[in-house]
Amino acid sequence: MNKFLTLRGAKRGFSYLVVGGWSAFSVFFILWIILASLKRNRDLFGKPWSIPIDPAWGNYVKTWVNNRFGDYFLNSLIVTSVSVAALLLVSVPAAYVLSRGRFAGRQALSNFFAFGMGVPIPLLFVPLFVIMTTMRLGDSLTGLSIVYVALSIPFSIYVLEGFFASLPSELESAAIIDGCSDFQVFRHVMLPLAGPGIATVAILNFVGLWNEYQLSLVLLNSPENRTLSLGIYSLITSMQYSGGDWAGLFAGVTIVMVPTILLFIILSERMISGITMGGVK
Amino acid sequence: MVVAFLAPALILYLGLLIFPALQAFYLSLFETSGFGDTPTWVGIGNYTRLLSDPIFWGALRNMSMIMVVGGVATFGLAFLFTMLLNSGLRGKKLFRALIFLPNIIAVVAITTFWSFVFMPRYGLLTSVLKALGLTSLASISWTAPENVFFAMMVGLVWISAGFYTILILAGADKVPTDMYEAARLEGASTFQIFRLITLPMIWDVILITLVLWSIHAIKIVEFPYAFGGPNIDQNLYTPAIYLYIMGFGQREPVYALGYSTAIGVALFFLTLVTIVLLRFVFKRERVEY
Repeated sequence: MNKFLTLRGAKRGFSYLVVGGWSAFSVFFILWIILASLKRNRDLFGKPWSIPIDPAWGNYVKTWVNNRFGDYFLNSLIVTSVSVAALLLVSVPAAYVLSRGRFAGRQALSNFFAFGMGVPIPLLFVPLFVIMTTMRLGDSLTGLSIVYVALSIPFSIYVLEGFFASLPSELESAAIIDGCSDFQVFRHVMLPLAGPGIATVAILNFVGLWNEYQLSLVLLNSPENRTLSLGIYSLITSMQYSGGDWAGLFAGVTIVMVPTILLFIILSERMISGITMGGVK
Repeated sequence: MVVAFLAPALILYLGLLIFPALQAFYLSLFETSGFGDTPTWVGIGNYTRLLSDPIFWGALRNMSMIMVVGGVATFGLAFLFTMLLNSGLRGKKLFRALIFLPNIIAVVAITTFWSFVFMPRYGLLTSVLKALGLTSLASISWTAPENVFFAMMVGLVWISAGFYTILILAGADKVPTDMYEAARLEGASTFQIFRLITLPMIWDVILITLVLWSIHAIKIVEFPYAFGGPNIDQNLYTPAIYLYIMGFGQREPVYALGYSTAIGVALFFLTLVTIVLLRFVFKRERVEY
Protein backbone atom coordinates (compact mmCIF):
# COMPACT_ATOMS: atom_id res chain seq x y z
CA MET A 1 0.00 0.00 0.00
CA ASN A 2 2.74 2.36 1.00
CA LYS A 3 4.75 1.53 -2.08
CA PHE A 4 1.66 2.10 -4.18
CA LEU A 5 1.21 5.53 -2.65
CA THR A 6 4.79 6.64 -3.28
CA LEU A 7 4.50 5.48 -6.88
CA ARG A 8 1.38 7.55 -7.27
CA GLY A 9 3.14 10.42 -5.58
CA ALA A 10 6.04 10.15 -7.98
CA LYS A 11 3.69 10.10 -10.95
CA ARG A 12 1.84 13.08 -9.66
CA GLY A 13 5.12 14.88 -9.08
CA PHE A 14 6.11 14.13 -12.66
CA SER A 15 2.83 15.58 -13.92
CA TYR A 16 3.32 18.77 -11.96
CA LEU A 17 6.91 18.99 -13.13
CA VAL A 18 6.05 18.72 -16.83
CA VAL A 19 2.93 20.87 -16.85
CA GLY A 20 4.31 23.30 -14.30
CA GLY A 21 7.64 23.60 -16.08
CA TRP A 22 6.01 24.34 -19.41
CA SER A 23 3.69 26.88 -17.78
CA ALA A 24 6.58 28.49 -15.94
CA PHE A 25 8.34 29.01 -19.25
CA SER A 26 5.39 31.14 -20.45
CA VAL A 27 5.77 33.33 -17.40
CA PHE A 28 9.54 33.44 -17.80
CA PHE A 29 9.13 34.45 -21.45
CA ILE A 30 7.07 37.51 -20.52
CA LEU A 31 9.11 38.53 -17.49
CA TRP A 32 12.40 38.17 -19.35
CA ILE A 33 11.19 40.43 -22.17
CA ILE A 34 9.98 43.07 -19.74
CA LEU A 35 13.27 42.96 -17.82
CA ALA A 36 15.24 43.07 -21.08
CA SER A 37 13.32 46.18 -22.09
CA LEU A 38 14.59 47.93 -18.96
CA LYS A 39 18.26 47.12 -19.39
CA ARG A 40 21.10 48.92 -21.05
CA ASN A 41 22.29 47.14 -24.15
CA ARG A 42 25.66 46.41 -22.57
CA ASP A 43 23.95 44.54 -19.72
CA LEU A 44 21.44 42.84 -21.99
CA PHE A 45 24.31 41.15 -23.80
CA GLY A 46 26.76 40.84 -20.93
CA LYS A 47 24.36 39.75 -18.20
CA PRO A 48 21.20 38.44 -19.91
CA TRP A 49 19.92 36.88 -16.68
CA SER A 50 20.41 39.87 -14.41
CA ILE A 51 17.64 42.04 -13.01
CA PRO A 52 17.99 45.70 -13.89
CA ILE A 53 18.37 47.42 -10.52
CA ASP A 54 18.51 50.80 -12.17
CA PRO A 55 15.80 50.50 -14.87
CA ALA A 56 16.58 52.23 -18.14
CA TRP A 57 13.19 53.85 -18.69
CA GLY A 58 14.85 55.82 -21.44
CA ASN A 59 14.41 52.78 -23.70
CA TYR A 60 10.68 53.39 -23.64
CA VAL A 61 10.99 57.10 -24.29
CA LYS A 62 13.25 56.39 -27.23
CA THR A 63 10.97 53.71 -28.65
CA TRP A 64 7.74 55.58 -28.02
CA VAL A 65 8.92 58.96 -29.30
CA ASN A 66 11.97 58.61 -31.55
CA ASN A 67 10.97 55.32 -33.10
CA ARG A 68 7.36 56.52 -33.31
CA PHE A 69 5.80 53.62 -31.41
CA GLY A 70 3.34 56.12 -29.96
CA ASP A 71 1.95 56.65 -33.46
CA TYR A 72 2.02 52.94 -34.22
CA PHE A 73 0.18 52.21 -30.99
CA LEU A 74 -2.54 54.64 -31.96
CA ASN A 75 -2.73 53.14 -35.46
CA SER A 76 -3.06 49.63 -34.05
CA LEU A 77 -5.68 50.73 -31.55
CA ILE A 78 -7.78 52.55 -34.14
CA VAL A 79 -7.58 49.89 -36.83
CA THR A 80 -8.33 47.10 -34.38
CA SER A 81 -11.21 48.82 -32.57
CA VAL A 82 -12.88 50.14 -35.71
CA SER A 83 -12.55 46.76 -37.43
CA VAL A 84 -14.00 44.85 -34.50
CA ALA A 85 -16.93 47.27 -34.16
CA ALA A 86 -17.71 47.09 -37.88
CA LEU A 87 -17.26 43.34 -37.86
CA LEU A 88 -19.86 42.93 -35.11
CA LEU A 89 -22.21 45.29 -36.89
CA VAL A 90 -22.26 43.12 -40.01
CA SER A 91 -21.76 39.62 -38.62
CA VAL A 92 -24.10 39.59 -35.61
CA PRO A 93 -27.27 40.20 -37.66
CA ALA A 94 -26.09 37.80 -40.36
CA ALA A 95 -25.33 35.06 -37.85
CA TYR A 96 -28.71 35.66 -36.23
CA VAL A 97 -30.78 35.04 -39.35
CA LEU A 98 -28.49 32.22 -40.45
CA SER A 99 -29.01 30.47 -37.16
CA ARG A 100 -32.65 31.25 -36.34
CA GLY A 101 -34.26 32.44 -39.54
CA ARG A 102 -36.49 30.26 -41.66
CA PHE A 103 -35.81 30.67 -45.33
CA ALA A 104 -34.80 28.52 -48.27
CA GLY A 105 -31.07 27.94 -48.63
CA ARG A 106 -30.24 28.91 -45.07
CA GLN A 107 -28.00 25.92 -44.45
CA ALA A 108 -26.33 26.30 -47.84
CA LEU A 109 -25.57 29.94 -47.16
CA SER A 110 -24.23 29.10 -43.72
CA ASN A 111 -21.90 26.52 -45.27
CA PHE A 112 -20.90 29.03 -47.91
CA PHE A 113 -19.74 31.45 -45.22
CA ALA A 114 -17.92 28.67 -43.36
CA PHE A 115 -16.08 27.79 -46.58
CA GLY A 116 -14.21 31.09 -46.21
CA MET A 117 -12.31 29.68 -43.23
CA GLY A 118 -10.63 27.18 -45.53
CA VAL A 119 -9.39 29.72 -48.08
CA PRO A 120 -5.66 30.27 -47.49
CA ILE A 121 -5.19 33.99 -46.95
CA PRO A 122 -1.93 34.19 -48.96
CA LEU A 123 -4.02 33.27 -52.03
CA LEU A 124 -5.65 36.69 -51.61
CA PHE A 125 -2.47 38.74 -51.19
CA VAL A 126 -2.09 39.86 -54.79
CA PRO A 127 -5.80 40.18 -55.66
CA LEU A 128 -6.49 42.19 -52.51
CA PHE A 129 -3.50 44.42 -53.20
CA VAL A 130 -4.80 45.05 -56.74
CA ILE A 131 -8.40 45.64 -55.59
CA MET A 132 -7.38 48.01 -52.83
CA THR A 133 -5.09 49.95 -55.14
CA THR A 134 -7.80 50.34 -57.79
CA MET A 135 -10.28 51.45 -55.14
CA ARG A 136 -7.71 54.00 -53.97
CA LEU A 137 -7.66 52.31 -50.58
CA GLY A 138 -4.16 50.94 -50.96
CA ASP A 139 -1.69 51.87 -48.23
CA SER A 140 -4.43 53.17 -45.95
CA LEU A 141 -5.71 52.14 -42.56
CA THR A 142 -9.28 52.39 -43.85
CA GLY A 143 -8.51 49.86 -46.57
CA LEU A 144 -6.81 47.58 -44.09
CA SER A 145 -9.82 47.76 -41.76
CA ILE A 146 -12.23 46.84 -44.52
CA VAL A 147 -10.12 43.83 -45.44
CA TYR A 148 -9.86 42.82 -41.78
CA VAL A 149 -13.64 42.92 -41.44
CA ALA A 150 -14.25 40.90 -44.61
CA LEU A 151 -11.71 38.20 -43.76
CA SER A 152 -12.91 37.89 -40.16
CA ILE A 153 -16.52 37.32 -41.19
CA PRO A 154 -16.41 33.52 -41.70
CA PHE A 155 -14.99 32.66 -38.27
CA SER A 156 -17.14 35.24 -36.48
CA ILE A 157 -20.37 34.13 -38.11
CA TYR A 158 -19.48 30.50 -37.43
CA VAL A 159 -18.98 31.08 -33.71
CA LEU A 160 -21.92 33.48 -33.37
CA GLU A 161 -24.26 31.03 -35.07
CA GLY A 162 -23.37 28.57 -32.36
CA PHE A 163 -24.27 31.09 -29.67
CA PHE A 164 -27.59 32.03 -31.24
CA ALA A 165 -28.51 28.39 -31.81
CA SER A 166 -27.96 27.65 -28.13
CA LEU A 167 -30.52 30.24 -26.97
CA PRO A 168 -33.92 28.92 -25.82
CA SER A 169 -36.77 29.46 -28.26
CA GLU A 170 -39.46 29.94 -25.55
CA LEU A 171 -38.59 33.60 -25.03
CA GLU A 172 -38.70 34.16 -28.76
CA SER A 173 -42.19 32.68 -29.06
CA ALA A 174 -43.41 34.59 -26.01
CA ALA A 175 -42.20 37.85 -27.50
CA ILE A 176 -43.92 37.11 -30.80
CA ILE A 177 -47.18 36.29 -29.00
CA ASP A 178 -46.84 39.61 -27.15
CA GLY A 179 -46.77 41.31 -30.52
CA CYS A 180 -43.09 41.98 -31.06
CA SER A 181 -41.98 42.41 -34.63
CA ASP A 182 -39.15 40.23 -35.94
CA PHE A 183 -36.75 43.11 -35.49
CA GLN A 184 -37.94 43.79 -31.94
CA VAL A 185 -37.43 40.14 -31.06
CA PHE A 186 -33.87 40.41 -32.29
CA ARG A 187 -33.16 43.78 -30.72
CA HIS A 188 -34.81 43.34 -27.32
CA VAL A 189 -34.79 39.60 -26.69
CA MET A 190 -32.10 37.73 -28.59
CA LEU A 191 -29.38 40.38 -28.71
CA PRO A 192 -29.17 40.83 -24.92
CA LEU A 193 -29.20 37.06 -24.44
CA ALA A 194 -26.37 36.64 -26.93
CA GLY A 195 -24.34 39.36 -25.18
CA PRO A 196 -21.70 37.06 -23.69
CA GLY A 197 -21.23 35.31 -27.02
CA ILE A 198 -20.87 38.59 -28.87
CA ALA A 199 -18.36 39.80 -26.29
CA THR A 200 -16.34 36.62 -26.76
CA VAL A 201 -16.24 37.06 -30.52
CA ALA A 202 -15.27 40.72 -30.06
CA ILE A 203 -12.36 39.86 -27.74
CA LEU A 204 -11.05 37.04 -29.93
CA ASN A 205 -11.09 39.26 -33.00
CA PHE A 206 -9.56 42.14 -31.10
CA VAL A 207 -6.60 40.02 -30.03
CA GLY A 208 -6.30 38.41 -33.45
CA LEU A 209 -6.32 41.70 -35.34
CA TRP A 210 -4.11 43.46 -32.82
CA ASN A 211 -1.47 40.81 -33.49
CA GLU A 212 -2.13 40.45 -37.23
CA TYR A 213 0.68 41.32 -39.52
CA GLN A 214 0.75 39.48 -42.85
CA LEU A 215 -2.08 41.49 -44.40
CA SER A 216 -0.77 44.78 -43.07
CA LEU A 217 2.61 43.86 -44.52
CA VAL A 218 0.97 43.42 -47.93
CA LEU A 219 -1.41 46.35 -47.83
CA LEU A 220 0.47 49.08 -45.96
CA ASN A 221 3.56 50.86 -47.14
CA SER A 222 4.04 54.32 -45.62
CA PRO A 223 5.87 54.55 -42.28
CA GLU A 224 3.10 56.73 -40.81
CA ASN A 225 0.55 53.95 -41.38
CA ARG A 226 2.46 51.24 -39.56
CA THR A 227 0.78 49.16 -36.92
CA LEU A 228 2.79 48.00 -33.90
CA SER A 229 3.71 44.67 -35.46
CA LEU A 230 4.95 46.41 -38.60
CA GLY A 231 6.78 48.91 -36.42
CA ILE A 232 8.69 46.10 -34.72
CA TYR A 233 9.46 44.46 -38.02
CA SER A 234 10.79 47.70 -39.49
CA LEU A 235 12.81 48.35 -36.34
CA ILE A 236 14.47 44.97 -36.81
CA THR A 237 15.16 45.88 -40.44
CA SER A 238 16.73 49.21 -39.51
CA MET A 239 18.82 47.58 -36.78
CA GLN A 240 20.75 45.83 -39.50
CA TYR A 241 22.27 49.15 -40.44
CA SER A 242 22.35 51.07 -37.20
CA GLY A 243 23.64 48.29 -34.95
CA GLY A 244 21.47 46.43 -32.54
CA ASP A 245 19.49 48.43 -30.02
CA TRP A 246 17.94 45.24 -28.70
CA ALA A 247 16.82 46.82 -25.43
CA GLY A 248 14.81 49.39 -27.38
CA LEU A 249 13.41 46.60 -29.52
CA PHE A 250 12.27 44.72 -26.42
CA ALA A 251 10.60 47.91 -25.20
CA GLY A 252 8.63 47.86 -28.47
CA VAL A 253 7.86 44.17 -27.97
CA THR A 254 6.57 44.91 -24.47
CA ILE A 255 4.35 47.68 -25.84
CA VAL A 256 2.74 45.33 -28.37
CA MET A 257 2.22 42.44 -25.96
CA VAL A 258 1.05 44.14 -22.76
CA PRO A 259 -2.50 44.99 -23.94
CA THR A 260 -3.32 41.44 -25.03
CA ILE A 261 -1.74 39.98 -21.90
CA LEU A 262 -3.88 42.26 -19.72
CA LEU A 263 -6.98 41.19 -21.65
CA PHE A 264 -5.96 37.58 -21.23
CA ILE A 265 -5.44 37.93 -17.48
CA ILE A 266 -8.99 39.26 -17.09
CA LEU A 267 -10.71 37.16 -19.74
CA SER A 268 -8.70 33.98 -20.30
CA GLU A 269 -11.60 31.65 -19.48
CA ARG A 270 -13.88 33.36 -21.94
CA MET A 271 -11.25 33.50 -24.68
CA ILE A 272 -10.35 29.84 -24.32
CA SER A 273 -13.97 28.73 -24.29
CA GLY A 274 -14.66 30.85 -27.38
CA ILE A 275 -11.82 29.26 -29.30
CA THR A 276 -12.71 25.75 -28.29
CA MET A 277 -16.31 26.43 -29.26
CA GLY A 278 -15.19 27.47 -32.71
CA GLY A 279 -12.89 24.51 -33.12
CA VAL A 280 -14.66 21.68 -31.39
CA LYS A 281 -18.33 22.22 -31.91
CA MET B 1 -35.37 41.38 -42.54
CA VAL B 2 -33.41 38.35 -43.73
CA VAL B 3 -32.05 40.27 -46.69
CA ALA B 4 -31.20 43.39 -44.70
CA PHE B 5 -29.47 41.34 -42.02
CA LEU B 6 -27.44 39.26 -44.44
CA ALA B 7 -26.59 41.78 -47.14
CA PRO B 8 -23.70 43.71 -45.53
CA ALA B 9 -21.83 40.59 -44.45
CA LEU B 10 -22.52 38.86 -47.74
CA ILE B 11 -21.35 41.82 -49.83
CA LEU B 12 -18.09 42.15 -47.91
CA TYR B 13 -17.53 38.40 -47.97
CA LEU B 14 -18.23 38.13 -51.68
CA GLY B 15 -16.32 41.26 -52.59
CA LEU B 16 -13.17 40.82 -50.56
CA LEU B 17 -12.88 37.07 -50.07
CA ILE B 18 -14.72 35.07 -52.72
CA PHE B 19 -14.13 37.49 -55.59
CA PRO B 20 -10.37 37.91 -54.98
CA ALA B 21 -10.09 34.14 -54.54
CA LEU B 22 -11.67 33.61 -57.96
CA GLN B 23 -9.67 36.47 -59.42
CA ALA B 24 -6.53 34.72 -58.21
CA PHE B 25 -7.26 31.79 -60.52
CA TYR B 26 -7.59 34.17 -63.45
CA LEU B 27 -4.55 36.28 -62.53
CA SER B 28 -2.39 33.18 -62.24
CA LEU B 29 -2.71 32.69 -66.00
CA PHE B 30 -0.95 35.98 -66.74
CA GLU B 31 2.42 37.53 -66.39
CA THR B 32 2.13 41.00 -64.94
CA SER B 33 3.86 43.44 -62.63
CA GLY B 34 0.56 45.13 -61.90
CA PHE B 35 1.73 48.66 -62.58
CA GLY B 36 0.35 49.90 -65.84
CA ASP B 37 1.81 47.17 -68.01
CA THR B 38 -0.60 45.05 -70.01
CA PRO B 39 -0.78 41.59 -68.50
CA THR B 40 0.58 38.95 -70.86
CA TRP B 41 -1.42 35.77 -71.21
CA VAL B 42 0.81 32.82 -70.39
CA GLY B 43 -1.83 30.16 -69.82
CA ILE B 44 -0.47 27.47 -67.53
CA GLY B 45 3.00 28.91 -68.01
CA ASN B 46 3.29 30.02 -64.40
CA TYR B 47 2.41 26.53 -63.25
CA THR B 48 4.92 24.75 -65.47
CA ARG B 49 7.53 27.23 -64.30
CA LEU B 50 6.52 26.45 -60.72
CA LEU B 51 7.07 22.73 -61.22
CA SER B 52 10.66 23.29 -62.29
CA ASP B 53 11.45 25.94 -59.68
CA PRO B 54 13.85 24.49 -57.09
CA ILE B 55 13.05 27.28 -54.61
CA PHE B 56 9.38 26.33 -54.71
CA TRP B 57 10.22 22.66 -54.13
CA GLY B 58 12.46 23.63 -51.23
CA ALA B 59 9.60 25.65 -49.78
CA LEU B 60 7.25 22.70 -50.23
CA ARG B 61 9.72 20.49 -48.41
CA ASN B 62 9.84 22.95 -45.53
CA MET B 63 6.07 23.08 -45.47
CA SER B 64 5.88 19.27 -45.26
CA MET B 65 8.45 19.28 -42.49
CA ILE B 66 6.34 21.75 -40.53
CA MET B 67 3.21 19.72 -41.19
CA VAL B 68 4.67 16.31 -40.31
CA VAL B 69 7.59 16.84 -37.91
CA GLY B 70 6.08 19.96 -36.35
CA GLY B 71 2.72 18.18 -36.29
CA VAL B 72 4.06 15.12 -34.48
CA ALA B 73 5.77 17.33 -31.91
CA THR B 74 2.76 19.61 -31.48
CA PHE B 75 0.22 16.83 -31.14
CA GLY B 76 2.54 14.74 -29.01
CA LEU B 77 2.84 17.60 -26.55
CA ALA B 78 -0.86 18.40 -26.75
CA PHE B 79 -1.73 14.77 -25.98
CA LEU B 80 0.75 14.71 -23.12
CA PHE B 81 -0.64 17.91 -21.61
CA THR B 82 -4.23 16.76 -22.02
CA MET B 83 -3.39 13.48 -20.34
CA LEU B 84 -1.55 15.12 -17.44
CA LEU B 85 -4.05 17.94 -16.97
CA ASN B 86 -6.86 15.40 -16.79
CA SER B 87 -5.10 13.13 -14.33
CA GLY B 88 -6.53 15.10 -11.42
CA LEU B 89 -3.98 17.90 -11.09
CA ARG B 90 -4.85 20.92 -9.05
CA GLY B 91 -4.84 24.28 -10.80
CA LYS B 92 -5.85 22.78 -14.15
CA LYS B 93 -7.36 26.04 -15.40
CA LEU B 94 -4.31 28.07 -14.48
CA PHE B 95 -1.96 25.61 -16.20
CA ARG B 96 -4.21 25.51 -19.25
CA ALA B 97 -4.20 29.31 -19.47
CA LEU B 98 -0.41 29.51 -19.12
CA ILE B 99 0.22 26.79 -21.70
CA PHE B 100 -2.08 28.63 -24.10
CA LEU B 101 -0.60 32.07 -23.35
CA PRO B 102 1.85 32.41 -26.29
CA ASN B 103 -1.13 32.27 -28.66
CA ILE B 104 -2.43 35.66 -27.62
CA ILE B 105 0.89 37.43 -28.14
CA ALA B 106 1.91 39.10 -31.38
CA VAL B 107 3.97 36.81 -33.59
CA VAL B 108 6.68 39.45 -34.07
CA ALA B 109 7.05 39.70 -30.30
CA ILE B 110 7.54 35.96 -30.01
CA THR B 111 9.99 35.73 -32.89
CA THR B 112 12.04 38.59 -31.43
CA PHE B 113 12.36 36.64 -28.21
CA TRP B 114 13.34 33.41 -29.97
CA SER B 115 15.83 35.29 -32.14
CA PHE B 116 17.53 36.38 -28.95
CA VAL B 117 17.41 32.85 -27.57
CA PHE B 118 19.13 31.43 -30.65
CA MET B 119 21.43 34.38 -31.28
CA PRO B 120 25.02 33.30 -31.93
CA ARG B 121 27.49 33.98 -29.09
CA TYR B 122 25.24 36.15 -26.90
CA GLY B 123 22.01 34.19 -27.11
CA LEU B 124 20.18 32.81 -24.09
CA LEU B 125 20.59 29.23 -25.27
CA THR B 126 24.35 29.61 -25.68
CA SER B 127 24.53 31.21 -22.26
CA VAL B 128 22.64 28.31 -20.64
CA LEU B 129 24.79 25.72 -22.41
CA LYS B 130 27.94 27.49 -21.31
CA ALA B 131 26.72 27.57 -17.72
CA LEU B 132 26.10 23.82 -17.93
CA GLY B 133 29.61 23.32 -19.21
CA LEU B 134 28.47 22.03 -22.60
CA THR B 135 31.02 24.07 -24.54
CA SER B 136 30.77 22.06 -27.74
CA LEU B 137 27.01 22.60 -27.92
CA ALA B 138 27.45 26.22 -26.95
CA SER B 139 29.60 26.89 -29.97
CA ILE B 140 26.90 25.76 -32.41
CA SER B 141 25.46 28.57 -34.50
CA TRP B 142 21.72 27.96 -34.22
CA THR B 143 20.86 30.50 -36.88
CA ALA B 144 23.29 29.10 -39.44
CA PRO B 145 21.55 28.02 -42.67
CA GLU B 146 21.62 24.33 -41.73
CA ASN B 147 20.09 24.90 -38.28
CA VAL B 148 17.83 27.90 -38.67
CA PHE B 149 14.80 25.92 -39.80
CA PHE B 150 14.80 23.75 -36.70
CA ALA B 151 15.41 26.74 -34.47
CA MET B 152 12.30 28.30 -36.02
CA MET B 153 10.37 25.06 -35.51
CA VAL B 154 11.09 25.07 -31.77
CA GLY B 155 9.32 28.41 -31.37
CA LEU B 156 6.50 27.39 -33.66
CA VAL B 157 5.84 24.14 -31.80
CA TRP B 158 6.00 26.02 -28.51
CA ILE B 159 3.08 28.20 -29.61
CA SER B 160 1.09 25.50 -31.40
CA ALA B 161 1.30 22.97 -28.57
CA GLY B 162 -0.70 25.35 -26.37
CA PHE B 163 -3.30 25.96 -29.03
CA TYR B 164 -3.96 22.29 -29.76
CA THR B 165 -3.88 21.42 -26.07
CA ILE B 166 -6.89 23.59 -25.33
CA LEU B 167 -8.81 22.16 -28.31
CA ILE B 168 -8.08 18.52 -27.45
CA LEU B 169 -8.63 19.16 -23.76
CA ALA B 170 -12.03 20.68 -24.50
CA GLY B 171 -12.92 17.52 -26.40
CA ALA B 172 -11.67 15.30 -23.59
CA ASP B 173 -13.71 17.27 -21.05
CA LYS B 174 -16.88 16.38 -22.92
CA VAL B 175 -16.35 12.68 -22.32
CA PRO B 176 -18.65 11.62 -19.46
CA THR B 177 -16.65 11.60 -16.22
CA ASP B 178 -18.15 8.31 -15.03
CA MET B 179 -16.19 6.59 -17.80
CA TYR B 180 -12.95 7.94 -16.40
CA GLU B 181 -13.97 7.06 -12.87
CA ALA B 182 -14.91 3.53 -13.82
CA ALA B 183 -11.59 3.06 -15.60
CA ARG B 184 -9.66 4.50 -12.68
CA LEU B 185 -11.44 2.17 -10.25
CA GLU B 186 -10.47 -0.74 -12.49
CA GLY B 187 -6.87 0.38 -12.03
CA ALA B 188 -6.22 1.83 -15.48
CA SER B 189 -3.19 4.10 -15.70
CA THR B 190 -3.37 7.68 -16.91
CA PHE B 191 -1.86 6.64 -20.22
CA GLN B 192 -4.26 3.72 -20.62
CA ILE B 193 -7.23 5.94 -19.88
CA PHE B 194 -6.07 8.40 -22.48
CA ARG B 195 -5.36 5.80 -25.15
CA LEU B 196 -8.34 3.53 -24.57
CA ILE B 197 -11.05 5.99 -23.54
CA THR B 198 -10.24 9.60 -24.34
CA LEU B 199 -8.68 9.07 -27.76
CA PRO B 200 -11.44 6.91 -29.28
CA MET B 201 -14.14 9.06 -27.71
CA ILE B 202 -12.80 12.29 -29.16
CA TRP B 203 -11.79 10.91 -32.54
CA ASP B 204 -13.88 13.52 -34.36
CA VAL B 205 -12.16 16.30 -32.40
CA ILE B 206 -8.75 14.87 -33.33
CA LEU B 207 -9.75 14.84 -36.98
CA ILE B 208 -10.84 18.48 -36.84
CA THR B 209 -7.65 19.54 -35.09
CA LEU B 210 -5.55 17.65 -37.63
CA VAL B 211 -7.38 19.41 -40.44
CA LEU B 212 -6.84 22.75 -38.71
CA TRP B 213 -3.15 22.04 -38.25
CA SER B 214 -2.66 21.02 -41.88
CA ILE B 215 -4.44 24.11 -43.18
CA HIS B 216 -2.31 26.18 -40.85
CA ALA B 217 0.91 24.52 -41.99
CA ILE B 218 0.05 24.99 -45.68
CA LYS B 219 -0.65 28.70 -45.45
CA ILE B 220 1.90 29.64 -42.80
CA VAL B 221 3.71 32.94 -43.35
CA GLU B 222 3.97 34.94 -40.18
CA PHE B 223 6.10 32.94 -37.79
CA PRO B 224 8.90 31.78 -40.12
CA TYR B 225 8.86 35.09 -41.97
CA ALA B 226 9.26 37.21 -38.85
CA PHE B 227 11.78 34.76 -37.43
CA GLY B 228 13.84 35.08 -40.60
CA GLY B 229 13.80 38.87 -40.44
CA PRO B 230 14.99 40.98 -43.34
CA ASN B 231 17.01 38.95 -45.85
CA ILE B 232 15.22 35.83 -44.71
CA ASP B 233 17.19 32.64 -45.28
CA GLN B 234 15.83 30.46 -48.09
CA ASN B 235 15.89 27.57 -45.66
CA LEU B 236 12.95 29.23 -43.92
CA TYR B 237 10.82 29.70 -47.03
CA THR B 238 7.39 28.17 -47.00
CA PRO B 239 5.35 28.31 -50.22
CA ALA B 240 3.29 31.18 -48.80
CA ILE B 241 6.44 33.14 -47.91
CA TYR B 242 7.79 32.52 -51.39
CA LEU B 243 4.45 33.76 -52.71
CA TYR B 244 4.82 36.97 -50.73
CA ILE B 245 8.40 37.51 -51.82
CA MET B 246 7.66 36.88 -55.50
CA GLY B 247 4.72 39.26 -55.25
CA PHE B 248 6.08 42.06 -53.15
CA GLY B 249 9.74 41.30 -52.54
CA GLN B 250 11.80 42.23 -49.54
CA ARG B 251 14.47 44.83 -50.20
CA GLU B 252 14.10 44.87 -53.94
CA PRO B 253 10.56 44.44 -55.17
CA VAL B 254 9.96 41.54 -57.55
CA TYR B 255 6.33 42.12 -58.60
CA ALA B 256 5.93 38.80 -60.39
CA LEU B 257 2.24 39.03 -59.55
CA GLY B 258 1.02 36.28 -61.86
CA TYR B 259 3.63 33.83 -60.68
CA SER B 260 3.00 34.75 -57.08
CA THR B 261 -0.71 34.12 -57.48
CA ALA B 262 -0.08 30.76 -59.11
CA ILE B 263 1.63 29.72 -55.89
CA GLY B 264 -1.52 30.80 -54.03
CA VAL B 265 -3.69 28.65 -56.27
CA ALA B 266 -1.35 25.72 -55.68
CA LEU B 267 -1.79 26.30 -51.94
CA PHE B 268 -5.55 26.29 -52.34
CA PHE B 269 -5.49 22.89 -54.06
CA LEU B 270 -3.01 21.55 -51.54
CA THR B 271 -5.45 22.52 -48.81
CA LEU B 272 -8.33 20.77 -50.55
CA VAL B 273 -6.36 17.59 -51.22
CA THR B 274 -5.07 17.47 -47.65
CA ILE B 275 -8.52 17.86 -46.15
CA VAL B 276 -9.97 15.12 -48.36
CA LEU B 277 -7.03 12.81 -47.65
CA LEU B 278 -7.24 13.33 -43.90
CA ARG B 279 -10.95 12.68 -43.90
CA PHE B 280 -10.37 9.51 -45.88
CA VAL B 281 -7.49 8.20 -43.80
CA PHE B 282 -9.05 9.01 -40.46
CA LYS B 283 -12.53 7.90 -41.32
CA ARG B 284 -13.79 5.77 -38.51
CA GLU B 285 -17.12 5.02 -37.07
CA ARG B 286 -18.10 7.74 -34.67
CA VAL B 287 -18.35 6.70 -31.08
CA GLU B 288 -21.69 7.63 -29.60
CA TYR B 289 -21.95 8.67 -26.02
